[in-house]
Amino acid sequence: MTSSSASARKALSKIACNRLQKELVEWQVNPPAGFKHKVTDNLQRWVIEVTGAPGTLYANETYQLQVDFPEHYPMEAPQVIFLHPAPMHPHIYSNGHICLDILYDSWSPAMTVSSICISILSMLSSSTVKQRPEDNDRYVKNCRNGRSPKETRWWFHDDKV
Amino acid sequence: MAAEEEVLAEVEAVEAVYGGDCLVLNSFPPHLHISMKPRTADVSFEQFVEATIKIIASPQYPKEPPCIDLVDCKGLDEQRQKHLLSCIREKAHELSSCLMLVTLCEEAVEKLSAMNHPDGDCPLCLYPLVPEDQQNETLPFMKLMSCFHCFHSECIIRCWHWLQNTKETDSASSAGAAGRPTQNMENRKDMHGKMKEGAGNCPVCRKPFHAKDLEHVLDLVGSHSSSQSSLDSKLPTGDEKLLVSESEITRRLKFEAILKLQEENSGLIEPKRDLVVLPGMFLPQPVTTSTKESAEQQEKDPSAVASGKHASGNSNGPSSSGHRNFGARKQRVRSDHHSKGHSSRKPVQQWVRKENANGK
Ligand SMILES: [Zn+2]
Ligand SMILES: [Zn+2]
Repeated sequence: MTSSSASARKALSKIACNRLQKELVEWQVNPPAGFKHKVTDNLQRWVIEVTGAPGTLYANETYQLQVDFPEHYPMEAPQVIFLHPAPMHPHIYSNGHICLDILYDSWSPAMTVSSICISILSMLSSSTVKQRPEDNDRYVKNCRNGRSPKETRWWFHDDKV
Repeated sequence: MAAEEEVLAEVEAVEAVYGGDCLVLNSFPPHLHISMKPRTADVSFEQFVEATIKIIASPQYPKEPPCIDLVDCKGLDEQRQKHLLSCIREKAHELSSCLMLVTLCEEAVEKLSAMNHPDGDCPLCLYPLVPEDQQNETLPFMKLMSCFHCFHSECIIRCWHWLQNTKETDSASSAGAAGRPTQNMENRKDMHGKMKEGAGNCPVCRKPFHAKDLEHVLDLVGSHSSSQSSLDSKLPTGDEKLLVSESEITRRLKFEAILKLQEENSGLIEPKRDLVVLPGMFLPQPVTTSTKESAEQQEKDPSAVASGKHASGNSNGPSSSGHRNFGARKQRVRSDHHSKGHSSRKPVQQWVRKENANGK
């Protein structure tokens, strides 16, 4: 009942629907560099392929992001996780959860899937070491019941990656 | 040297025209910063753009055209900035070897005036603020004074209500979470510290704005707009009641005086006034969320954001929110609001505020 995966499954509101259709069109015309939207007929869940930027630790590696939109998108942030296998990164847990403030507290309804993607890519690009967050095991164990990262109480470290 | 005197006289002329908006960093060779507003914007709510340009001339001026650049601007995206600059620079080349400072400034103001409309899409719904083709209706929109970012009134109000509601939810859940480590509480304050009572942040640039800005819109949307005879056809009065809750009405009254003042002090925003509303017209994007949605909303759990240590263990299930009835409030009214195929790209007419003619 309280899980946001349940609420995420709630149909998109009309406002959310219109907004997402608009984003999708915009994406098709002008996709963010390094990303590919995998076409499905599901507006509420986007799967996006991201390729690490050249010259970074993740160059030529490809990962998949899963973006689930809540009923009241864009007022509520979408849930964004990496599908298995998630990139090794100090802010990315092995279950795909991403510690990135704009996905939670710092979300603004003026942000778009595109702008999220750009933030995620820049987070990857600025990484200097391929490793999991220190508390990875503990965190992942706590999430075993399929908890959404949006229910996590995140503590955002500085941006030193 | 005669030439230098002429140039100095020219700088004086620019100063005379632009007064305090003209900053002379150097008289010869001229180095000026000039802040410009569109000619069509005598009052703040008719203004959607502004720019400060710098003109730096060499000792060879006017044989050599001066360098022109933007120091600062509001309401202009990159494309429009470029356009503005290239127009002025072009003019400078055309006028090569003539004294041109005054003319260049005029050109800049001219261009700025032509651009005095919000450009692009509403950052919240991504639909155009001013539709390109005149088939589409123009929805009322507003501007945040601090940054000139524009939104459909309806979109920003919806956003506002959401924030207000999230805040309530948050304080409710933090009350129930007294046992949590203080660290969490502090971080919570951090996150929402920006959203103090009566203030919010621009969704685009996060500059703070105040409730008053939105109150003003509510004011227009509610009683004011309906009192305009040109809008008489549209709203059953009953619907207006949905727009503002009791507390909002109270607050509105309370702020009325301040609003007046603020309006005069260039406090605010104004949706367009030349709306022609026809009954039974529908919005390009359906916005009626209606009662069903608000009912759903009441069941819905807020995803209250709290914080832990990096990722902390289990969060308590977020406590259930009280009533979330903001969703449906205003939308009905707005959905009947329309403008009809007016000439949407004629700033001069478009932004004239009627009341203003009567002198304020
Ligand atoms: Zn909008
Ligand atoms: Zn802004």
